[in-house]
Amino acid sequence: MMSEKFLKAGDFTAAEAMIIYGSRMLAPFNGKVGIIGIGAPLLATQLAKLLHCPDMKMIVETGQADANPQEVPISIMDSRLTYGSSWQMGDPEGLFPLMRGEIDFGFIGGAQIDKYGNLNSTFIGTDYNKPHKRLAGTAGAVDIGGYAKATIITMAHQKRRILEKVDYLTTPGWMVKKWPEGTMVRREEIGLPGGPIAFISSMGIMKFDDQTKIMYVDQYFPGVDPKAIKENTGFDIDISRAREADPIEREEIRVLREIADPLNIYRTR
Amino acid sequence: MKKSKVVSLTEAMQEVHNGDCIVLGGVVEDRRPMGAAYELIRQGKKNLILLGECSLAEDVLVGAGCVVAYRGTYSAIGAFGISPSTKRFIEAGKIVVDDIGHTDVCLGAMAAMAGSPFIATRTTFGTDVLNPAYDNVAKIRNLARNPKTLPAKKYVLMEDPFYGTGTVQLHPAMRIDVHIIHVQYVGEEGTVRIDGSLVFDHFAAHAAKKVIITAEQVVPEEYLRRDPNRNQIPCTSVDMVVELPWGAHPGQLLNFYDMDIPFLTEYVGKARTEEGFREWADSWVFGVKNHLEYMDKLGASRLEKIRALPPFGYRPRMRGGSK
Repeated sequence: MMSEKFLKAGDFTAAEAMIIYGSRMLAPFNGKVGIIGIGAPLLATQLAKLLHCPDMKMIVETGQADANPQEVPISIMDSRLTYGSSWQMGDPEGLFPLMRGEIDFGFIGGAQIDKYGNLNSTFIGTDYNKPHKRLAGTAGAVDIGGYAKATIITMAHQKRRILEKVDYLTTPGWMVKKWPEGTMVRREEIGLPGGPIAFISSMGIMKFDDQTKIMYVDQYFPGVDPKAIKENTGFDIDISRAREADPIEREEIRVLREIADPLNIYRTR
Repeated sequence: MKKSKVVSLTEAMQEVHNGDCIVLGGVVEDRRPMGAAYELIRQGKKNLILLGECSLAEDVLVGAGCVVAYRGTYSAIGAFGISPSTKRFIEAGKIVVDDIGHTDVCLGAMAAMAGSPFIATRTTFGTDVLNPAYDNVAKIRNLARNPKTLPAKKYVLMEDPFYGTGTVQLHPAMRIDVHIIHVQYVGEEGTVRIDGSLVFDHFAAHAAKKVIITAEQVVPEEYLRRDPNRNQIPCTSVDMVVELPWGAHPGQLLNFYDMDIPFLTEYVGKARTEEGFREWADSWVFGVKNHLEYMDKLGASRLEKIRALPPFGYRPRMRGGSK
């Protein structure tokens, strides 16, 4: 009989799994400082602070230091971020610590990701001046992905979003563009610290090969067939190293549903 | 008695000229000068160049055909999705775009604030922000009423001559014709007190040729001067002051009101099409003569639902806040 402690596939949604496994990625960052993007990263961080890293300090790019929202915010300058923070200034004070090299990790989303963990949140298509789909732009993602000492990425797993190459490189991953020529080089060659350490999707956890820096499937969520991850990825992703992720604990789903987002503001269920 | 800077909203918005480079204060849907944006639409402004972002306050201007170009970091409205009018106009090639980073915007304002023509930084390295194929700065400069407000090029790379730390980007100052900021409190002489994020308004106010403050409350200067450390923009940098209660609706204003989620949802739904936007604007912008009529149209009960509660500064969702 299944232990009471763990849940079976079907007892949670794919979106909930993404948030829960994302929150587990933050466990090593207790006592560290992170810059968090609004959306799935923020909800996963709220959950992580409740379960894994109570002493993690969250900085928000609109200038809240050690923000401690009591309700999950839905906007980057949500009033919910101000009350309870150590310091409330503005965007420069929120972002400059990245450029000073003080941020231990960043946690962000995107619209497209490529095999090197580069993100696109600017436009889809081939014509910048008349794009097929205009997106949100750089926001903080370009700065966070460039200058945090490590980056964690989270977004839903869809074939059209996980690609060989992004249409526009908004957020630097492992192989980036060196200007003025635009040649692809390793990020350290142009002095960028950090880099993406994991991509948590709604199907599994992807990591980047130590040598090639190409994305591979490290873990698939309970109930997910690793072959389905391959089918839903826009390039030929390596699944040979994949193992099933440790099961979701009943306590994790309880804290997510009852404390982190009791009103289901993020529509994860 | 010192000279008061208090004017009407109509008078203040007449200071914005067609082809001006403008910055609207706040960010996303938070502390945005919405009442001012509606008045700019009513006055039929044209060819405005938006600097900084293209979120809620800017999106209504884009939808109304007031905008010719946008240079900045963000073209979405948080949880409400990509700025709907902006998306429509950019995809049709009807406004010129030049994307820069978020830190770039802060640094550009900081350089202008310091009276410097540019600043050295390593922002956006490795990304397409520095791709010359996507550099529209010269194109936007030609559209400006005063081209010298905008830089001649996007950036220059050079080696750090001082500390030998490698290649840096020389990033131009962000000069601004008019900066319109909505705040909680302002004195008659222009002293500003902001609650919540300052965004980069505390930099940009010194980078702009003209600064217009709209505020929930115009209070006696003497009240704000009892504690000057709590003020973020000095009277010496402010040109005009307008009293505009609920002036950031439908967005949030810390300690005054929370976001009006049904209003925002309706806006982003309608603004996806030209026809929908026109319908929305006919109702909420052209359908009212001024801001007081806008408030009357919203109605007291609607506004009461989003009134902020102390000590939080927002309306807790469990206590009647909108979801």
